[in-house]
Amino acid sequence: MPVFRFILQRVFQAILVTLAVTLFVAFAIRLTGDPAIMMTAESSNVTEEDLSRIREALGLNRPFFVQYFDFIKSLLTGDLGDSFFRGSIRDLIGIALPATLLLAVASLGVSILISIPLGIHSALHKGGLSDQIIRVLSLVGLSFPNFWLGIMFVLLFSITFPLLPASGFESWSALILPAMTIGIILTATNVRLVRTQMLETLSAQYVMVARAKGMTEGVVIYKHALRNAAIAIVTFLGLQFGNLIGGLVVVELVFNWPGMGTLSIEAIAQRDYPLLQATVSILAIMIVAVNLAVDLVYGLIDPRIRVA
Amino acid sequence: MTDQTQQKSVRAIPKFLMSRYFKFEFIAGALLTGILTLLVLSSGVIYPDGGAKVDLLARLTPPFLSSEHPLGTDPLGRDILERIIHGGRVSLLVGVLSAIGSVVLGTVIGLFAGYYRGFLDTFVMRFADVQLALPFILMAITVIAIVGPGIDRIIILMIVSQWVQYARLVRSSVLSLREREFVQAARSYGLPDVKIIFSHILPNAMGPLIILLTLNVANNILLESSLTFLGLGADPQTPSWGGMLSEGRSYIQTAWWVTVFPGVAIMLTVLGLNLLGDWLRDELDPLGQTR
Amino acid sequence: MRILFRYLTAKNVVRSTLLASCLTFATPMMAFAETTLNVAQGRDPQNLDPIDTFRLAWGSIASNVFDGLVFRGEDLQLKPGLATNWEFLDNETRIRFTLREGVEFHNGEPFNAEAVKYTFDRLLGEEGAKGPQRGNYTSIREVVVVDELTVDFLMERPDPVLITKLSGYGAMIVPPKYIEEVGEEAFDMKPVGTGPFKIVEYTPTVGVKLERFDNYWNGNANVDNVNIRFIPEDATRMAELLSGGIDISLNIPTPSVETIKQSDVVDLVDVDGPSVVITRFNTENGITVDPRVRKAISMAVDRDTIIEALLGGLASPISSAQGERSFGNDTSLQPYPYDPEGAKTLLQEAGVAPGSEIALDIPSNNDTFREIAQVMAAYLDQVGLKLKVRTHETSVFFNEIVTNGKSGEMFYFGWGGWTFDFDNTAYLLYHTGERNNPYIDDAKLNALLEEERATYNTQVRRDALQKVAAYAHEHALDLPLYNLSTLYGVNKRVEGFVPAPDDRVRYMDITLK
Repeated sequence: MPVFRFILQRVFQAILVTLAVTLFVAFAIRLTGDPAIMMTAESSNVTEEDLSRIREALGLNRPFFVQYFDFIKSLLTGDLGDSFFRGSIRDLIGIALPATLLLAVASLGVSILISIPLGIHSALHKGGLSDQIIRVLSLVGLSFPNFWLGIMFVLLFSITFPLLPASGFESWSALILPAMTIGIILTATNVRLVRTQMLETLSAQYVMVARAKGMTEGVVIYKHALRNAAIAIVTFLGLQFGNLIGGLVVVELVFNWPGMGTLSIEAIAQRDYPLLQATVSILAIMIVAVNLAVDLVYGLIDPRIRVA
Repeated sequence: MTDQTQQKSVRAIPKFLMSRYFKFEFIAGALLTGILTLLVLSSGVIYPDGGAKVDLLARLTPPFLSSEHPLGTDPLGRDILERIIHGGRVSLLVGVLSAIGSVVLGTVIGLFAGYYRGFLDTFVMRFADVQLALPFILMAITVIAIVGPGIDRIIILMIVSQWVQYARLVRSSVLSLREREFVQAARSYGLPDVKIIFSHILPNAMGPLIILLTLNVANNILLESSLTFLGLGADPQTPSWGGMLSEGRSYIQTAWWVTVFPGVAIMLTVLGLNLLGDWLRDELDPLGQTR
Repeated sequence: MRILFRYLTAKNVVRSTLLASCLTFATPMMAFAETTLNVAQGRDPQNLDPIDTFRLAWGSIASNVFDGLVFRGEDLQLKPGLATNWEFLDNETRIRFTLREGVEFHNGEPFNAEAVKYTFDRLLGEEGAKGPQRGNYTSIREVVVVDELTVDFLMERPDPVLITKLSGYGAMIVPPKYIEEVGEEAFDMKPVGTGPFKIVEYTPTVGVKLERFDNYWNGNANVDNVNIRFIPEDATRMAELLSGGIDISLNIPTPSVETIKQSDVVDLVDVDGPSVVITRFNTENGITVDPRVRKAISMAVDRDTIIEALLGGLASPISSAQGERSFGNDTSLQPYPYDPEGAKTLLQEAGVAPGSEIALDIPSNNDTFREIAQVMAAYLDQVGLKLKVRTHETSVFFNEIVTNGKSGEMFYFGWGGWTFDFDNTAYLLYHTGERNNPYIDDAKLNALLEEERATYNTQVRRDALQKVAAYAHEHALDLPLYNLSTLYGVNKRVEGFVPAPDDRVRYMDITLK
């Protein structure tokens, strides 16, 4: 069963990749300094004895692989264990992960709302002035540093015209600025994707047939071409998922969005080993899973890819 | 995707390039990139001070008021235009060096991986998988925490994490070129592998590489600004665009110009490169390999 | 739901059901009159348990939730708190505390001698060892229960700052039954104290919601709820303050001082704080081994201009590593005057060639000091010294650069001893072997510091501490820069706000217009 073997092989590879990532993170963070010192950095009267007592209590003087296996075990059981400084990791991630996903989905929403109409328009007027303008604008969108765009939005919509909250997590309106920031940057690529995809589909046989049957242009576009474009976008985003998460990190920081990026950066700053291991591993697992899904779907549809 | 289209497009470049220079993307991109690069390269001549002159009496001068400080001054009274022009050095240095480093490393490894397959090939593909699963910013923050901040480390980090995309691109070109007649012919003449790889295969894989390189410079300028913004890049006394943004951030309410202008500088530079990349893509990559 | 459930399991089913039904009736009717004070602070304390923290961000929440045996308010005077009285016995080796009667924790548990003993057993025992607070209280050997409302502290060694330390941080009294019941982990997230507000909900990285505690022993709070949000971005915190989304903001960044002063809706409130900023010299390596060079550097930097231009005038120059309100400060000790010419002469005498390079190491997370360091470089440039500013990630800075003595000629030191007693700062700066003191090993300083620590006699202590300051000044061991004011942005609808110098703000007396 070659299909079965293909799936098995890919899943196995995904597991290996995840293991490699967790091992790298767990090892690297332990090279960076001493959590006991971070913990007591601002308190006086700390003796060497106090420090070693803290290290003992945190389990830091056990061999690396014992600590690593502990971590893998906690990851597999879903318990995730305790942070050095701030209680249960599962509780922390329980807040951060939905926050990040919410922001990611909202950004995607913004991007799709803008890019589909623009992309279709661009494709239907290929070579025209509006097509040119849209193409250049989409390049402009790609050229912003994302955090700077975020700061500019705050300057414009929270400071100059106080319309929207500059930060926070409490009201829905707080979602608008960060989602717009990431959404606009995603839009830049998506517009071009929709355009190319539309051009390809519009020249495809079945669309010609549909046209010949006398279907109105609107029906042709929305029924046939758009569906194909949507599939292309979803696939592309699957592949870009890692980049999306990476981009979220800095934007979350600018907007004080309590997501995985903010949590990871805090964990690094404090040398909170268990917390950082958990956040990075969960992000990595998500990325690997999405990539695997794209990979499998494509591999099953198109057998040629399996070889590569 | 047949041999003929590929061959034709490669050979045909010089002929049709002439007319394609009149495209908007090329003119705007070349102008933006050219002017900015010239300004930055001559920064030492225009402002010999190096953008470090502190003048607390002139701190936070608004822009457009005096010819002395056309874009205003920062919280330490340093001229913003001067610092932008000097700061461009860091951005261009990081952008160009990291992209060239990754292109060289990635191409060499990709050529050999694609030509010989085997262990090297597997390694490249698996390394790429791990790379994809690890958000770059988080990895950078962790690694910088170990080795300390600095431009040199950022360049190395970027090379380490980006050579893979070139390796993959080159590898896939090699896989298709390897079985072609002209390569087979060269092999039957008994040419050494290295010679076949560099003089027959590499030239045919160049187009997509150049496009990717251009876009990569653009992208790395953005990345550098993010990393410096997070305090991982250039030291505070070296003016850099990301550093200016991070220093200006807390003044956003009172002195918008400290944050707005360096950001515009980044945007224009990256835009210029993106325009060029886009134009190159139309010219050199009709098959859409780099899309 | 979860709260209700806990009450039910707490064996007083009848009472809690009654309570619950009262509440359901009461809530909708009171909804209109409820007042909520909105507060923003820059940092998340990350853990609300008193023994697990050292952060000011914790102090500004916990001063509303917990009480100590001793109370220290905004005027920094020590007053009776949960103890009404204390006396030193047995040649000052035993301190007897008489406890306040009728005090109750938020969960209804009574406050008594048992709770005090439990608090300190926990702090000094295994649980305390996992956190950073234990070290501050190791002068206590044991707490002994005398009767329901009397406890004795048996001292391991004299600790002149103990009474002050009992008014904050690790010494906050915690409820034994509650902790045993819910466990340590739950206590981190939702602790219970005896203070004027109880914690409704703590959401990490987002905020804390407080609600008035109606059985507080010292009168009741005026506002019903306090909603504290953590907003680390300065710009966004200020935007929220200026737009009225926030009534009180802590951690006002210096760049925003002007904006707040010009605002019609927000007032800037400032008070001398505990935080001092100095740069320390490397007295072991480099040209700063020579005291003349250290003095020259001290004279080359114009502190007054730095304070005026970069800190909005909201800081005061200092002559030692303490502010004016600190115990041990000597107002007659003057900082080295700004004198670039004198500095040049001193450098020449010391044989330092013009254009010599020196390095200053600073942590990367301090935006204000990053600016100041560059201004210092400009000042030193004028006397012929090239100052290279090197930033390090905070953890690396403390772990590697300072503790292991790997700094350049100068390094940053910022400290905010909330006790306002120079003992704390002086000891860790000048006593041999302290983590923040990689270079100085001086018998005279050691002797003075040990003498000061061994007695409760205020006069002897003040003398010794002032001598330490004078000695450090004379040998220019550090370059004391400034004492920061603690700043608050307060909306004009807030009445009765008293600024706390140490960030330990109290919200109970505030009313909202």
